[in-house]
Amino acid sequence: VIFELNGRSVEVDVPSTMTLLDMLRTELGVTSVKKGCEQGECGACTVLIDGAPMTSCIILAQQVEGCRVCTIEDFVDNPLMKELREAFLENGAVQCGFCTPGMLLSAYVLLRDNRHPTEEQVKVAIEGNICRCTGYVAIIEAIMDASQRIATD
Amino acid sequence: MRALAGFELIRPKTLVGALEALDTLELAQPLAGGTDLIPTYRDLGCRSKYLVDLGLVKELNGIFEADGFIQIGPMTTHSQVINSSLIKKKARALHEATCLIGSAQIRNRGTIGGNLCNASPAADTATPLLVHDAEANITSLDDTRWIPLQDLFSGPKMTILEPDELLTGIRLPVVSGGSSFMRIGRRKGFTLSIVNAAAYLEREDDRVGEISIALGSVAPTPLCIQGLDELQSGDMNDGFIDVVNDICLDQIKPIDDVRGTAEYRRDMTSVLVRRAIRDAWTSCGGVLE
Repeated sequence: VIFELNGRSVEVDVPSTMTLLDMLRTELGVTSVKKGCEQGECGACTVLIDGAPMTSCIILAQQVEGCRVCTIEDFVDNPLMKELREAFLENGAVQCGFCTPGMLLSAYVLLRDNRHPTEEQVKVAIEGNICRCTGYVAIIEAIMDASQRIATD
Repeated sequence: MRALAGFELIRPKTLVGALEALDTLELAQPLAGGTDLIPTYRDLGCRSKYLVDLGLVKELNGIFEADGFIQIGPMTTHSQVINSSLIKKKARALHEATCLIGSAQIRNRGTIGGNLCNASPAADTATPLLVHDAEANITSLDDTRWIPLQDLFSGPKMTILEPDELLTGIRLPVVSGGSSFMRIGRRKGFTLSIVNAAAYLEREDDRVGEISIALGSVAPTPLCIQGLDELQSGDMNDGFIDVVNDICLDQIKPIDDVRGTAEYRRDMTSVLVRRAIRDAWTSCGGVLE
């Protein structure tokens, strides 16, 4: 399969049955993409495919042929992601950190498409990202905080 | 952990290519968004030797209006349905139901055709389509035909599709009335319906011109309520809603399962039928006392 990973073209030889998640982690060493439920429920394996968040555990590796796949590593220098990262840290929205890469990607897409979401819209955006530590309150506050920060920039 | 095994992935670029693969390959099965199929295979093992991915077949994707119908390609994702202004304006119940499916990640991947062919009695896209008189286009290499959507479903998780047939289109007539979708689940979002209800109404001043109701998760298949035609031209009031509710309760066959009891489903059917009728009535400009 040939596709674009974080702006670089990559070519990997994978069997039909390998998931995108396993290819990213074991063939390409991208371990920020976490393996949680493997059912598409927990969102820890969230990646962006052509800009839209999807759970990589229920997508087959060969299905991303010709697609643009982005993981959290693609956003190191991204200004919006930088605000989100800082807001997550300052609001205590990271505890064990397992859900964080997926959570940040879902939050990023929300604020990319809607800079001033309501709290309800934040909740809907992260419905597909389960966090077992924080109880979500700090995460929702962090995303609202980041939305404020980009408003005043 | 639990690895997937036992199948080869085929990715045809055309509808003919997909139909040929299904026709010639032994134990081949279509793959739409995979949001149900892949997790199921992980848990239960793969029964198919070939998965025929329909993701590259462009003619199966998209929403457009033609000849008095809204046509929806079965590979159209839930997110595309939600973002369609045509659906939002002319099939409100389908818009609202689709907003409640899965999570953002699932809505970006899962498709309307996959939701229908998975044939869950609780499928949230089925009931809105049923009240909108939707038809399904079924195609094999030899034949293509339109059938009422209700006839696609033959039982829980079962359709009438033969191994060499595909759902190739969904169409609903462009209508003038209002529709509504209501559901009850364990949570507000990202959960299966314990009961869902869709209503479609046409209003003639204070009278009901036409009414249809469909209910999910209360019978082996999504259920379009029969016998409502005779109620046409009734005045919209509590008495009318009671009559419709009684007709619905006569036709449902709910069961006890992990998500709820039959008794709870009967009670919630009444709640949702009332809510959906009232909401559909208001959405087409009607007033309720």
